Amino acid sequence: MKIIKAKNVKKYFFQGARVVKAIDGVNLEVERGDFLAVLGQSGSGKSTLLQLLGGLDRPSSGEVFIDDVNINKISEAKLTDLRRNKIGFVFQNFNLIPTLTAAQNVEAVIAKRSSQDRKKSLAALKQLGLEERVNHLPNLLSGGEQQRVAMARALINEPDIILADEPTGNLDSKTGEEIFSILDSLNKNNKKTVIVITHSDYIRKYTSHIVELKDGRIYGR
Amino acid sequence: MFYLRYLGAELIRRFGKTLTISLGLAMASSVIIVIISVSQSLSTAQDKVLNPLQNVGTDIMVTRSVDNESMVSLDETSRNELMQDNRIGLNLANLGNPGETFSYDTFLPGSLMTFDQKEIDNLNKSLVAKAAAGLIMQVIHQEGTIPDVTTEVTTGGETFEVNQKIEPMTDEERAAQDSARKKVEEELKVKGIDPRSPEGMESMRKAMDEAMPERFKNQSFRFTAPERTYTQHVGPIETNISSNSLTVAGVDMSKTDIGLILPDHITSGTWFNGDNQIIANKSYADKQNYVLGGTINLGGKNWTLVGIVEPKLYTNTADLYLPLTDLQAIAERDGKINIMLIKSTNAQSVEDTSKKLEDAFIGAVVTNSKDTAQEVSGSLVNVANLTNKFIGVTSVIVISAAFIIVSLLTILSVNKRIREIGTLKAIGWGNAIIIRQIIAENLVLGVIGAVLGLGLAAGAIALLNHFDISLSATIASASQNQGFSFARRFFLGGNGTNTTVSTQVPLKIIYSNMVFLLGSLVAVIGSIFAGTLAAIKASKMKPQEALRNIE
Repeated sequence: MKIIKAKNVKKYFFQGARVVKAIDGVNLEVERGDFLAVLGQSGSGKSTLLQLLGGLDRPSSGEVFIDDVNINKISEAKLTDLRRNKIGFVFQNFNLIPTLTAAQNVEAVIAKRSSQDRKKSLAALKQLGLEERVNHLPNLLSGGEQQRVAMARALINEPDIILADEPTGNLDSKTGEEIFSILDSLNKNNKKTVIVITHSDYIRKYTSHIVELKDGRIYGR
Repeated sequence: MFYLRYLGAELIRRFGKTLTISLGLAMASSVIIVIISVSQSLSTAQDKVLNPLQNVGTDIMVTRSVDNESMVSLDETSRNELMQDNRIGLNLANLGNPGETFSYDTFLPGSLMTFDQKEIDNLNKSLVAKAAAGLIMQVIHQEGTIPDVTTEVTTGGETFEVNQKIEPMTDEERAAQDSARKKVEEELKVKGIDPRSPEGMESMRKAMDEAMPERFKNQSFRFTAPERTYTQHVGPIETNISSNSLTVAGVDMSKTDIGLILPDHITSGTWFNGDNQIIANKSYADKQNYVLGGTINLGGKNWTLVGIVEPKLYTNTADLYLPLTDLQAIAERDGKINIMLIKSTNAQSVEDTSKKLEDAFIGAVVTNSKDTAQEVSGSLVNVANLTNKFIGVTSVIVISAAFIIVSLLTILSVNKRIREIGTLKAIGWGNAIIIRQIIAENLVLGVIGAVLGLGLAAGAIALLNHFDISLSATIASASQNQGFSFARRFFLGGNGTNTTVSTQVPLKIIYSNMVFLLGSLVAVIGSIFAGTLAAIKASKMKPQEALRNIE
């Protein structure tokens, strides 16, 4: 069953008179429970593709379906709801809110929705081995710890899809491998659909479903 | 609640931003509070000076004043009355004998023409709630010694030349003389007396005189001297008469809450409480070195100084104050007044009432607070005018500057949080929540700014009050100015007097809850304004900003 579908998706940017074809006719289908890696060099359009697949942006043309919802045809508010409920994001720079503690960063996703928010966020952090660091501000955490907090934040809402954009880009290789293994575990044990954008080849250890992106087009699968 | 904890964390952990924006708002708020407070206090101070009528329990003043311009167009009767009323008559012959000292006061109403006191009873009762009479007179005081006027004329010392032709002696007459001489010589010889001895010569002369013809003996003739006129210039009479002038006012003793001066204007001593009492204006008493209990001679009578007053009816002050009837008596103006102070029945329609009162009697001049305000000048008025002129502009500049600076800082701060906001949007925060969060953050900054602003403003006002700033107000005094200039026309020896009254008004800046509330609102509204701009900016940020700088 396809959880994400991209049909002839194009994303063009205009820089003055010049047209930058960031994504130029991508067709992609991701099965529920799949672990997809998108490889490519800098400027190949990886992050733009992730934005489109994660509903952070809409395509210039073509269609993107997330869990059978065409993101072109829903309002901004609905798209926000869709992101909140279906997708967990993990960013290269962790994107933690610097003024909030680890626990508060996790809680930010489910803010006000339940009196159990705090407990759930603590449990998610504990699951990622951060129970000792819950009250630390991001700048007091190591890169690996920060990314684990970001993963806890991505998981707290129990989304079906985890979208990770260069999750190991700012980490050493050992920590990077830890992160990949967590993603692998989420895929295998928690049946999450994981899409990872990376230029690290050792992702091949965890998945055989790899697409390679070059100049906004898919070249190899 | 998560949103509040997030808000608290933002404000505490970005303390520099919190402090900068709060202080910016506090400054704006305090500047506005101080500006408005100073302006209000100036207005209050100005009102006291600009509305001197209010200080004496009245709002309308009725006189028959004639200023220099309108004197030309005065009708014949009034002109004659004015001239008659201001005539100075000093008859030294009536004041004593030459060499005696005298002191004489002439009372002149000046241009404040007198009218019957009964006019006060004729006032329209529906327009007038209360009224008091007053009589303000210029006093020309003259004293010195009555001169003894004498002149000395010296005559005589003239030489008259008389020419008369007398017939010479005839031979017979000469023979008779010879005969007489010979006879005496004979007789002397008989007596044995030498004719050349003194006795002999005496006898000889006698006999000769007797024998002289009659026309030589009685040479009487008439002589008429020519007519002449002697003129001796006496020259100017030397006198030691000195003159000075002052203003004296008669106070309506039947009222204590409305009048030229009121009991609560007494700064030392007491209000009138007996006969032959006088009250002096503080500035005049200081100039004359008067002491309470001392005696002042006025109008040929001695008065005891019982009180010192600081009159609040700046436009019509006097140097000395007497009960009205006493002044009427010494000024020989029984039943006459020249000013009516009126409290209108309706304070809201003073202008209307003023108009209606103009017909009270012929020549009535009605003055209300609007007219008296125009007579005031000085630093108080300048500062107040300046403040009134620029308060709006200054406030708009301060508020605009504060809003712009705070908005820029807030937008800058939101721009710095672009990835944070993008991330929040990516993880499912809707625009409404983000807008609410940013406005809430700014609202709290505004409240902090308002509190700081209140403190700053209170401190600034306390500091300004500490310096005891006082402003001067100069008021043209109608009684002294017009009256005396008129009197001077008749009496050139006038030594001049102040034509204005100066008063120092302390600038006491008032703490007003309303102003402080308004100032606080500036901070709060400023923060909401800046927060709204920042929130709009944030709402336009895209969730993909979360991934910025990654590729």
